[in-house]
Amino acid sequence: MSVFLSSLGFGIISAAVLAIATVGFTMQFAVTNVLNLAYGSVMINSAFVTYFLNIHGHLNAWVALIGGVATGSVASYLLNRFIYTPFQRRNLAPITIVIVALGVDLCGTFGLQAIVGGSYFSYRQSLGREWHFLGMYFSTLQLTIIAIALGVMLAVAWLLRYTRLGKAMRATSANPNLARNSGVRTQWVISTTWLISGALAGLAGTVFAMNTGVFEATSAQLYIVLLLAAMFLGGPGEPYGAMLGAATIGIATELSAAFINPQYKMVIAFLILLGMLTFRPYGLFGSERTA
Amino acid sequence: MASQVSAGYDGRAIVHGIDVEANPGRVVSIVGPNGSGKSTLLKSLVGVVPILGGAVSVGGTDITNLPPEKIATMGVGYVPQVDDVFPPLTVKENLEIGGYLLARHQVHERIGAVLEFFPRLKRMMTRKAGKLSGGERKMLAMGRVLMLSPSVLVLDEPTANLAPLVATQLLEEYIRGFADAGSTVLLVEQRAKAALRISDWTLVLGGGRVVLSGRPDDLADNPVFVESFLGGGAHL
Ligand SMILES: Nc1ncnc2c1ncn2[C@@H]1O[C@H](COP(=O)(O)OP(=O)(O)OP(=O)(O)O)[C@@H](O)[C@H]1O
Ligand SMILES: [Mg+2]
Repeated sequence: MSVFLSSLGFGIISAAVLAIATVGFTMQFAVTNVLNLAYGSVMINSAFVTYFLNIHGHLNAWVALIGGVATGSVASYLLNRFIYTPFQRRNLAPITIVIVALGVDLCGTFGLQAIVGGSYFSYRQSLGREWHFLGMYFSTLQLTIIAIALGVMLAVAWLLRYTRLGKAMRATSANPNLARNSGVRTQWVISTTWLISGALAGLAGTVFAMNTGVFEATSAQLYIVLLLAAMFLGGPGEPYGAMLGAATIGIATELSAAFINPQYKMVIAFLILLGMLTFRPYGLFGSERTA
Repeated sequence: MASQVSAGYDGRAIVHGIDVEANPGRVVSIVGPNGSGKSTLLKSLVGVVPILGGAVSVGGTDITNLPPEKIATMGVGYVPQVDDVFPPLTVKENLEIGGYLLARHQVHERIGAVLEFFPRLKRMMTRKAGKLSGGERKMLAMGRVLMLSPSVLVLDEPTANLAPLVATQLLEEYIRGFADAGSTVLLVEQRAKAALRISDWTLVLGGGRVVLSGRPDDLADNPVFVESFLGGGAHL
């Protein structure tokens, strides 16, 4: 198997994980106006709840995942309710929320490290058999992750386009005052958005940990770079853009890892992000007014 | 409807002690120079800007400082001066959000009724609102607010940026029409002459206060009013 194809395979799986994470991240940013830099720590904390249920609760990893998803959802809701919203109410400069989020991220990551320590962890889970496609190998676990990502993408696309809640989310994102004048309870819409996007963070964190196989408290610390790159590539607030951005970043970073140096993964993502911010600040698919 | 209302931003009043009385079947218009507080007054009535003193009621129910989404449920529809549509949403989705409080089958029904009213929108249902022309966009903004069949319509300069003919049609056919059909219309309008023609009562704001008010005929005879608002339009 060629190095190119094997790293493309890795890229596809990374992209699947990143797509789940980015869709939640961009949804938060678009609807609630918070650039939640603590997203990575929500992911890894959720992954550890799954771990706890899997190892100490003796649950199958896929069942334990439900606990991880619930953790991400509730943690994100509480984060908004008790930290971001009170700061937003004070009408401070937008940079304040970014700094607060950064602080939350550090507390989330190193708080977790204080509890679980600095060692490495893995789920008790089989990878399943190997499948062979077009010169690439995937384990059953990896194929399952890709299938979950596709399912999540379809579900989010359907939510935003066809449901009353999804339309209210897009309306709230585009013009919150007008949404309220139309009878939309935007506070409720925003809370619900945190619950849903937080669930996606929890899901992404768990499949991220499953995919890396071995993880520690700080494993998702730099993930925010990939998230930002994928989000800006697709255009902030554009869920379809987020999917394509995640695909591009996931594959580009894994190919660069194979052909340049794995150490430079984040650097490559960051360079793509810088390039986007310079040449297409609204993303490849975004427009000035985002959805 | 409003009595002794003061309202403004960050606790600082922009409009002071304003009384507005509007009844079903009537158009009440508000005119005044730029920055006189017309939009601020309307925003306070629909819950977007905090009311610092006085009270607002609709049909005997007090709505002072209720959140806008609550006021929307009480039959008050508001078309703001700017940002009056959801640009990334399609025309159809804009109307659906307008009917957010309705049951699903009613939404469908009301969209049909609104399209009867603004047939031009029929051909652009799947277009994004951000891509409409100024006139089409205003029709959509009006259509959105009509989705809930409001009993009180609060309109902030609905004819701004419209061609004179379209503006006249909007005012004389549609807006006067809503009132004739039994709605209460509260209208802020820069085109003072046109506003007087369709109004039952007119308030003139200046520096956040009512400086004149009266029936259009009487105002048209008032030399101060004529000089500042009907005299050649130099002030606009
Ligand atoms: N969001 C805001 N925060 C603070 N002050 C504001 C805000 N919006 C408007 N103002 C101020 O309130 C005053 C009245 O503004 P308002 O928009 O009500 O005027 P207007 O009569 O509607 O003017 P125009 O004819 O230009 O629409 C102005 O001095 C304006 O600068
Ligand atoms: Mg105004």
